[in-house]
Amino acid sequence: MKSNKQEVAPRRKVSFSVYMKRYWQLYALLVLPLLYLLIFKYIPMIYIQIAFKKYSIVESVWKLPLAANHGFEYFIKAFKSKDFILALRNTVGLNLLDLVIGFPAPIIFALVLNELCFKRFKKVVQTIAYMPHFLSWVIIYGLALQLFAPSTGFVNMILNNLGMSSIPFLDDSSHWVATYIGLGVWQNFGWGSIVYLAAIAGISPELYEAASVDGAGRFKKMWHITLPGIKPTIVVLLVMNLGNILGSNFDRPFALQNNLVMDVANVLSTYVYKVGIKGLQFSLTTAVGLFQSVVGVFFLLTANWISRKLGEQGIW
Amino acid sequence: MKKKVLSILLAGAMVMSMAACGGDSGNDQSSAASGGSTSSGGSTSSGGSTGSSAADAGNASGELVDGKFAETRTITVEVYNRENDGGSDPTNNMYTEYIKKGMLEDHNVQVEFVSVPRWTEVEQINNLLAAGDAPDICVTYDYPTIQTYANMGGVLDLAPYLEDYKSELPNLWDWLGEMNLYWDRDPETGTVWGIEAKLATSNRINTFVRKDWLEALNMDPPTNKQEFEEMLIAFRDNADKLLGDDAANMIPYSVSFDVGWRAATLIESFIDPAISDREYYVNGFDDRKLTQEGTKEAIRLLNKWYNEGLLWDDFALYKSGDSTEDDMMKAGYVGAFTHNWDYPFRNGEDSINASLQRIVGDNAAYIAVDCFEDKNGNYTKFVPGPIDRKIFFPSTNDEPLACMLYLDWISDPEHIEYLQIGDEGVTHNVLADGAVETMAATGDAIQNSGMNIDYTITCNGLKMADEEKTALSVAHNYAGIDAAIVQGANEIAQTDMKVGKNVNVGAIAAEEGMGTVLSEKRDIVYDNAVKAPVADFDKVWDQGVQDYLDAGGQAIMDERAEKWVATYGDVDMLP
Repeated sequence: MKSNKQEVAPRRKVSFSVYMKRYWQLYALLVLPLLYLLIFKYIPMIYIQIAFKKYSIVESVWKLPLAANHGFEYFIKAFKSKDFILALRNTVGLNLLDLVIGFPAPIIFALVLNELCFKRFKKVVQTIAYMPHFLSWVIIYGLALQLFAPSTGFVNMILNNLGMSSIPFLDDSSHWVATYIGLGVWQNFGWGSIVYLAAIAGISPELYEAASVDGAGRFKKMWHITLPGIKPTIVVLLVMNLGNILGSNFDRPFALQNNLVMDVANVLSTYVYKVGIKGLQFSLTTAVGLFQSVVGVFFLLTANWISRKLGEQGIW
Repeated sequence: MKKKVLSILLAGAMVMSMAACGGDSGNDQSSAASGGSTSSGGSTSSGGSTGSSAADAGNASGELVDGKFAETRTITVEVYNRENDGGSDPTNNMYTEYIKKGMLEDHNVQVEFVSVPRWTEVEQINNLLAAGDAPDICVTYDYPTIQTYANMGGVLDLAPYLEDYKSELPNLWDWLGEMNLYWDRDPETGTVWGIEAKLATSNRINTFVRKDWLEALNMDPPTNKQEFEEMLIAFRDNADKLLGDDAANMIPYSVSFDVGWRAATLIESFIDPAISDREYYVNGFDDRKLTQEGTKEAIRLLNKWYNEGLLWDDFALYKSGDSTEDDMMKAGYVGAFTHNWDYPFRNGEDSINASLQRIVGDNAAYIAVDCFEDKNGNYTKFVPGPIDRKIFFPSTNDEPLACMLYLDWISDPEHIEYLQIGDEGVTHNVLADGAVETMAATGDAIQNSGMNIDYTITCNGLKMADEEKTALSVAHNYAGIDAAIVQGANEIAQTDMKVGKNVNVGAIAAEEGMGTVLSEKRDIVYDNAVKAPVADFDKVWDQGVQDYLDAGGQAIMDERAEKWVATYGDVDMLP
C-alpha cells in the first residue's frame, strides 16, 4: 500500500469523470465477476439467519420466529449430539492427515519431475499423474471396490492366492482411514503439482548455473535454490489449506464411506447432508455450516498472521 | 476500437443473462408466494373454520361440467424411475400416453410426469419440495417426510377435498375406502396430509433357495432353522460340486447392507407371535424391527453364520440400488436369500429366475421356502396393514381438484386393469381357463415396474375388475416364470400372516425429521453386529442399539407409549 501511494503522488490528479471515461471498458468487464460474487456469494448470506430461526419452507426468512435460547437452540443441539462431536473429530482428523501426507506429495512430485531431463518421458508421466483428478469419487469408489473388496477385490484375491489372508481395506476403521488418505493423495498429487511446476519454471536459470559453478550437486541445488524459490507458493497454499481444516468436500467421504466404518468416516459435510438435508432439519445444518465457516475463517486469519510474522507474504 | 466492441458485446451478454436470471427468480418467487397462500388456506380450514374450504369447493365443483373442466388444466405427477436395463422412458411410453389421453378426454386435464429415481426417492422428493419444484401429486413410502413438511406448512390438507368432492370421486372412495383415505387422519385436528395406497395382496416377503442345488445334494427344502443352517453348510462344503471352477464365488446365504429387510423372515421368527399391539407399536418406529424384543437373538444367529462363512463377505460395501448382488444371483452363485415375495420373478426376461435358467441351466430356479419357525412352530409373518405408498399434494399444488380427479381416474378398476396387463397379444395372453398370462413385452410396451405399480399409484398388486380372474391370474403374472413356482411362493407368503392394525394416536413430535437419520443408524447397527467376531457380538449390538436410542429412538418410544395411553387407555390389544 505504501509503495503505491508514493507512485501515485507525483501524478497529476485526474477527475473521476475523466478517469471513468478513460477506463470504463475495464470496469464494464469487471461488472460480471462482481455480480457473480454478489448473487452467488453475498446474497445467499442473508439466509445465515436460518441458523438462529425456526425454519419453514413456505415462510419468508424475515418472518420466521427466533429459535429458543436466544436463537442459539440449534448450536446447543448440535454440540449436545454425539454424532456431531464425532463428525467434528473425524473432519479434523482426516483433514490433518490429508495435510500431513497429502500436502507434501505434490511438492515432492514436482521436485522429482523437475529433475527429469528426458522431456518426453516427463510429459508422459505428468499426463498420467493428472488423470485421476478427472475421475469422480463415485468412479474411484467403484475402482476401489474392484481392487480392495474383501472377497472379490483383485488385490485381496492375489493375497489369497499367495496364501495370505485378505486385508480389510474398506471394512475396518483404521484400514479405511489409510485407504481414504491414500486414494486422496493418488487422486490429487499430479494435479496439485501444476502450481509448483509453474513456480519452479519461474526460477532464474542463472541461479542454477552459478550454483553449478560453485560445485553444488543435484540435492544441494534442490535444497538451496528450488525449494526457497517456491517457498512463497508453498506458504500461500498451506495457509489456504489450513483455512479449510474444518471444511470438507462432500463427494469424497460420501462416496467412500460405508456402514462398517461410520465411526471414522462420518464427517461434517456428510453429517449435514444426512441429518439436515435428508432429515429436513435445515436450521440445524445451517448452524453447523456457520460454525464451520467461522472456525475456518479463524484458522485462515491465524495462519496468515503467522506466515506474515515469519516474513512470508501470506495471502493478503 | 476492438476493445470497445468487445466490452459492449460482453456487457450486452451480461445484461441478457441477468434478465434471464431475473426472469427465473421471478417465477420462483411467484410460485413460492402462491404456495404460501394456498397452504395458509389449507391450515385455516384444518384449524376448524370449514367455511373457506367449502367456498373453495363450491367454486371448484362449479368449474366442472360432466366431470370436465371448461379450460384445460395442467398437473404434474411423480413417477418412479427404476432405470432398468432396456426399460422404457418412465415419463413417455404406451402407458403414460394411455393416462394422458384418458385424463384429457374424461376431465380435460393435461398430465405431465416427473420422474424421480426409485432408490433415492426420499432424498429426491425432499430436494424438490425444498426447492418448491415438487410435482403436484407426490408419492413416497416415507410418511415422516410428509409429516415434517406438513408441520412447516408445505403440504395441503386433503380432508376438505375428500369430503367436499366425494361425489366426484366415486372410484377413489370405492377402492381406498375410509380405511385407507383416513388412515393417517389426525385424531385431534382431523387433517389428512397424505392418503395411503392400497395393497391388493398383503404378500410381503419370502425366503428363496436354489431348487437345483437341493436336488443335486439330495436334500429336501428346509422347514426349520436347523435344517436351513444344515443346508447352508452343505452348500458351502459342496461348492466344488455345485459351482465347479467358480467355487470361490459361492455364497450360501446372501444379505445386503439392509440386513433388517434382507433377513426379515428370520428376524420375525424370533418375535413373540402373541406380542401385544401396544408393545408392537411402541417399539415399532423402525420398520426393520431393530427395537423389537427378539431381534437381537436373530442377529446373533446371523452373526454366527457370518463367522462360519455362510454369508456374503462384502454385503455392507455395496450401496442401495447397486445390482452386484442381483448379478451374482443371476450368475448362480447364491444359494439362498430373503426378499420381496416375488423378487426372483420380477422383470420378465431379465428376472433372476429367467436369467438363472439362461445362464446356469433349465433346471436352475429359486423356490420359496418356509423355514424360520417361531416359538410355536408357526411361520408368522408380520405384515403392515393394507397400506402401501403415501400420496400427498405439496402446497405448491394449484390444482387440487384436478389432482383429486387424477387419483379417482387412476383408481378406476378398468384403468388399473389396463395399466397392469396392457393389451392382449402385446403384453398378455388369455389362457383357456380365463387366466391372464403376462408375456415379455418389447419397446414402448415394456413395464418398468411389475404390473406398472409406478403408474397405479393407489394400488399395489394384481387387481382386475373381475376378482375370480385375478385369483386365477396371479400365478401367470410373471412372464417366463413357471406358474407352479409362483403359486408356491404366493401360498408361502400367506401362511400364518399377521396383519398389522392401524394405530393412530396423532403425530409423534419426536419422529419429526428422524426417519432417514434413524434408518441409517439402524443399518449401521445391523451391519456391524453381523460382521462382529462372535465373542464381541453382545458388546457391538448393545452399544449400537444404545447409540440408536440416544440419537432419538428412545424419545420416540417414550412419546409413543405416552400417546398410546392417552388415546387407548390401558388396553394392550386393539379390536
